[in-house]
Amino acid sequence: MTIRLIGYSALYPTLRVIICLKELGLPYELEPPASYQSLKDEDYIANKHPFGKIPVLFDGDFRITESRAICRYLTSKYQGKHNDTILIPNDVHKAGLVDQFISYELSYYDPPLSKLVYQEKFAKKFFNKDPDPEVIKQAREELAKVLDVYEKLLEGKEYLNGEYSLADLVLCPGTNYVYGAGHSDLWDSRPNVKNWWNRLCNRDTNKKSFEEIKSFWENLGK
Amino acid sequence: MTIRLIGFPFSGIVLRVIICLKELGIPYELDPPASYKSLRDEDYKANKHPFAKIPVLFDGDFKITESRAICRYLVSKYQGKYNDTILIPNDVHKAGLVDQFISYEFSYYDPPLSKLLYQEKVVKSLNRDQDPEVIKQAREELAKVLDVFEKLLEGKEYLNGEYSLADIFLCPNSYYVYDAGHSDLWDNRPNVKNWWNRLYNRDAIKKSFEETKSFWENNPKF
Repeated sequence: MTIRLIGYSALYPTLRVIICLKELGLPYELEPPASYQSLKDEDYIANKHPFGKIPVLFDGDFRITESRAICRYLTSKYQGKHNDTILIPNDVHKAGLVDQFISYELSYYDPPLSKLVYQEKFAKKFFNKDPDPEVIKQAREELAKVLDVYEKLLEGKEYLNGEYSLADLVLCPGTNYVYGAGHSDLWDSRPNVKNWWNRLCNRDTNKKSFEEIKSFWENLGK
Repeated sequence: MTIRLIGFPFSGIVLRVIICLKELGIPYELDPPASYKSLRDEDYKANKHPFAKIPVLFDGDFKITESRAICRYLVSKYQGKYNDTILIPNDVHKAGLVDQFISYEFSYYDPPLSKLLYQEKVVKSLNRDQDPEVIKQAREELAKVLDVFEKLLEGKEYLNGEYSLADIFLCPNSYYVYDAGHSDLWDNRPNVKNWWNRLYNRDAIKKSFEETKSFWENNPKF
């Protein structure tokens, strides 16, 4: 039975799961909800996500929510089954460090990044609000400090944990948005970070996924 | 070699790891830093935590940071070695759901809880006044989350049926906020109330809170 993913590919938590599915070579069907408002319906809350969010994944009868939990589940169950891609190493110490870097992403990297995603991509188009320059300035400063730490963490390494892993994957979608929205200097002015981001952009799955998103935004403008 | 845990035992984040170590029966040494300020020393950032945070765990030469990553690592490596306690089930689907509940804690439960924690515990120590508007909004937000938890706990003793890491993670800060005059939020919801009482009465959790109490008694001027 094919995996069913409920979500919008333009929203980066859904995109995380899409990239993970592609990396593991897993076939899936994307099912966008009828509307963003429909996520608050009683039926959606009872049968899909109790907090009215996306993404939601169905693997047969098994339902799981929350993008990073979904990615860990997919890796746990399917890593090595369709191809050789390793997203979480088998060695317990290496896996522990991947978890640590995933925690850095959610604790330090994502908060300022998601503010920039909202301001640059969603505020005007979906909520009719002008981007707030003060919020953007503060978020850039906060993200710059985080990227200074990443610059050191990436010294002598191609990816956060040495080899490509879920820790790199989880920050790809949001980074793609902000990088392409006029903030590329944050990554490009730091040599290790710049090389790492270029490497990530050149991965097949990311290239394909980012193309899919590009056409979503182009069609939206029409 | 004994595990070394760097952190303050009164920190809710460090307590997560202490509870996990006790639950798995793992011996450890707690090594509190000199002060919160010392976390910002160049030496601490270079050799302990690049973002200047606690906890940090050393297992021999292996260093790992971030409480949730540390706990997953400990479970991965030591679950079943010292006792029978299961914190992450072996079944891939059940483990996936534990991860999902861990994500609910991070995404929905912790934000309003942390605001209340800050108002009730940190603000006074900084000689500032509490903000009643922030407290009111945080209570309302947490009440909505606990309404969802009330349904999630229907017919269950713990979030995932059996006790797991997901229950541990929300214990410490819940205890502080519960104890600071907001117990009604948990006690007004029968499933939530029973679940909280069950957690509160677990040996490992009781002992962990006792360690915190004796730290304050021995370090009143900290």
